[in-house]
Amino acid sequence: MSLDAARHTRGESLFVDDLPQPSGLLHGAVFSSPVAHGRLLSLDLDAAQKHAAVRRIFTAKDVPGENQIGAIIPDEPLFAEGHVHHIGQPLALVVATSPEAAREARDLIRAEIEELEPVVCPREAHRREQFIVPSRSLRLGDEAQLAEAFAKSATIVEGQTSTAGQEHLYLETQASMAVPLEGGRLRIYAGTQGPTAVQRVAARVLALPMSAIEVEVLRLGGAFGGKEDQATPWATFAALAAHCLEQPVKLVLQRSEDMLMTGKRHPYQSDWRLGLDQEGKILAYEATLFQNAGASADLSPAILERSLFHAANCYKIPNARITAHSCRTNLTPFTAFRGFGGPQGMFVIESALARAAEVLGVTKEHLQSINLLQSGDVTPYGQEMQGCVSRRSFEQTAQRFDLAGARRATVEFNAKNKRFKRGLATMPICFGISFTNKMMNQAGSLVHIYLDGSVQVASGAVEMGQGVTAKLRNIAAHTLGCDVNLISMAATSTTTVANTSPTAASAGADLNGMAVRIACTQLRERLDALERGLPWKELINHAHQERVHLSSAAHYATPNIHYDKDAEWGAPFAYHVYGSSITRVTVDCLLGTYKIDSVEIVHDAGKSLAPLIDRGQVEGGLAQGIGWLTVEDLAYSDDGRLLSHNLATYKAPDIYSAPVKIEVEFLEHDESPCAVLGSKGIGEPPLMYGIGAFFAIRDAARAFRPVERSGAEDLLCAPLTPERLLMYLHGNR
Amino acid sequence: MRLLELEINGDRLHVAAPPHWTLLEVLRYELGLTGTKQGCDKGDCGACTVLVDGKPQLSCLMLGSAAQGHAITTIEGLLPAHRAQGGAGADPVQDAFDRCGALQCGFCQPGMMLSAKALLSENPTPTSTDIKHALSGNLCRCTGYTQILEAALLAATKTEEVL
Repeated sequence: MSLDAARHTRGESLFVDDLPQPSGLLHGAVFSSPVAHGRLLSLDLDAAQKHAAVRRIFTAKDVPGENQIGAIIPDEPLFAEGHVHHIGQPLALVVATSPEAAREARDLIRAEIEELEPVVCPREAHRREQFIVPSRSLRLGDEAQLAEAFAKSATIVEGQTSTAGQEHLYLETQASMAVPLEGGRLRIYAGTQGPTAVQRVAARVLALPMSAIEVEVLRLGGAFGGKEDQATPWATFAALAAHCLEQPVKLVLQRSEDMLMTGKRHPYQSDWRLGLDQEGKILAYEATLFQNAGASADLSPAILERSLFHAANCYKIPNARITAHSCRTNLTPFTAFRGFGGPQGMFVIESALARAAEVLGVTKEHLQSINLLQSGDVTPYGQEMQGCVSRRSFEQTAQRFDLAGARRATVEFNAKNKRFKRGLATMPICFGISFTNKMMNQAGSLVHIYLDGSVQVASGAVEMGQGVTAKLRNIAAHTLGCDVNLISMAATSTTTVANTSPTAASAGADLNGMAVRIACTQLRERLDALERGLPWKELINHAHQERVHLSSAAHYATPNIHYDKDAEWGAPFAYHVYGSSITRVTVDCLLGTYKIDSVEIVHDAGKSLAPLIDRGQVEGGLAQGIGWLTVEDLAYSDDGRLLSHNLATYKAPDIYSAPVKIEVEFLEHDESPCAVLGSKGIGEPPLMYGIGAFFAIRDAARAFRPVERSGAEDLLCAPLTPERLLMYLHGNR
Repeated sequence: MRLLELEINGDRLHVAAPPHWTLLEVLRYELGLTGTKQGCDKGDCGACTVLVDGKPQLSCLMLGSAAQGHAITTIEGLLPAHRAQGGAGADPVQDAFDRCGALQCGFCQPGMMLSAKALLSENPTPTSTDIKHALSGNLCRCTGYTQILEAALLAATKTEEVL
């Protein structure tokens, strides 16, 4: 259980909007563009300014420093000026004495915008050559070898797939509060995965040194990548207003504001071609991915990179060319979401294998099993696999959960039943751990032992429910050799640990855990130089008498990772996480509805630092993955307006959508020397077991309506909502 | 402003609040009972669930004034109520959610736990189907629900032991 668990059960855990309200607190509301693409002619603030409760309205011209929040590429203004590029792009910030007054006044603002034609489809953006960054290609073998491999292929399948976006739906919406301190300094209580990102951007916008801004994060009510870069503008708005008005300012988004104004998982479209030999071994693969990046870069270039890296999933592909385009459209900039582009890349090869299995008349699980990577194989990005347990996890899943029997039972059931059909899919995964930007693979910690023997551990890790603080506390107790109950975890703050990477990329416990371990090892060594055998409290007292330094700060940088972007070749990941699942579903072919009967998983968590937490991560990731590809449906109008912008219109998995049975077994092995205490990152990889649900439903649908009768429809577009499934089962007859 | 007389977690309280404020706003911003969360704009997520005379109710859809004359229980009141009835340790629902890893970020879970509490008060031996029905209005984005279901079942066995 997480460190916060007991506090949570008593309702005592504080989130940003729960913090005691400082006196004189003002509230912000954001006015955003009602048009997806246009020239901003004027902004009429008069009526809003006359509202009695309004203290000030900020626009681009009120920014003391740079009006710029772009992290990777400076292409995103805090306030739009000149042009608007998506609906929901901030134009003005209203600050008033209450949240409802701020919104009342906000609704009085009028923008005059000359509308320009919006682009919402990534393929259309590609045709117009609207790119965020230059397109990239990974290759294994040269062009002639690829052509030769296709020429030698006994079977070639080709097609198109698409995956839609996904709303993060962290239950706590974006929220920040900024409080002026003496001497023009600011403290920002931010709901962010990246305190340093907020500090840096706020400093840039306010023209202050970073040292004048403290960012503190107690915990987040869910994030899933949605508070990595996308938490920054709201914290910066609060900081801007607090700094200029010299009063505390809070900004909490309502759910519909959050859904309209913040980015989501990137939708992708893709073209693919797969060549296999007579036995079904992959000889050649080419794929082109069209990433819908939205209106500005945000984290899209890094997400594009991970889509490329994971486009081959866990399969050995001797000849490959994988190309990815980051396409600029007029939608809210898409952003990090658990998996970070990896799932989108993996879905494409899984689609190709599903199609190939049908053409070859074999099961998809057979094709998957004969193409798995092994240690020594080289990926399309040049990394030689080490400690690869891809095959082991697949075989253990197949044996432990009787894959052959499950397939037989599915076939038998389908032979006997007309209305209900069962489907099955296996989903092996391979996911690289490390930020693909090498610089970000570093972390810091600060550990104090106090005179009474109690310990405070600070790190750059942000707790958002993933249990990182509990893991860090266990690492500290283990390393110091003291009772775990003596250790408290400090709120994450830029004043204790500076220049931190966001808590992301499944690397929060890896990086910060190593930094905590190093700091605690240093302290332990200082204590070990003293008299041995004393009880902890006496030892600490003795150490103080002997003038031993009882604080330690440490830094960790992941060794041995490198990547050459020009050559598109290297070893960007410290290690890989593996695992495999079997998903079984039942489809009601009259209604198009489905039930996930079971998901059985063997997951590679290394030596788990906290098995209960890791089980929660596996199950939670799985549920999000299933939701992404089945029921979660972001609907946009042709002019770029998000239509499903609240929970009445956006279906998120509820307790009825959950699989009837989930079984998780951890793969035991000693092949993970790369992360802290033999553990492995766990946040993102399990999401990709959700891909199995899509293909299990597809499997059942094919049993009802086989390939030869289904015409051009390939059923490779996600999400596979019951409506779309029904259209497939009965459409175009 | 309007003066409200409310019974919250066994305490009779007088509180001044704007007449259009929901019970959720009164709890959070007048009484400092921030354990009750707002997760959506209105009525879709269940995070603001409280007990009104023992029945689950979305506090974002109830005016503060409409709560007068009813006994309100928030997440903060679960432990005191359990202790007042002579219970030791934590309330069975609290204990079970903690043990089963049924909470991650902690934002949905006050509402989730109160929905579970209401179910168990009415039906101490629920089936999985009963639990799903009772919790179907509470969204959780972290867990995938399995551990929540397990927690509710565990709480049921503990509740039965107590009764």
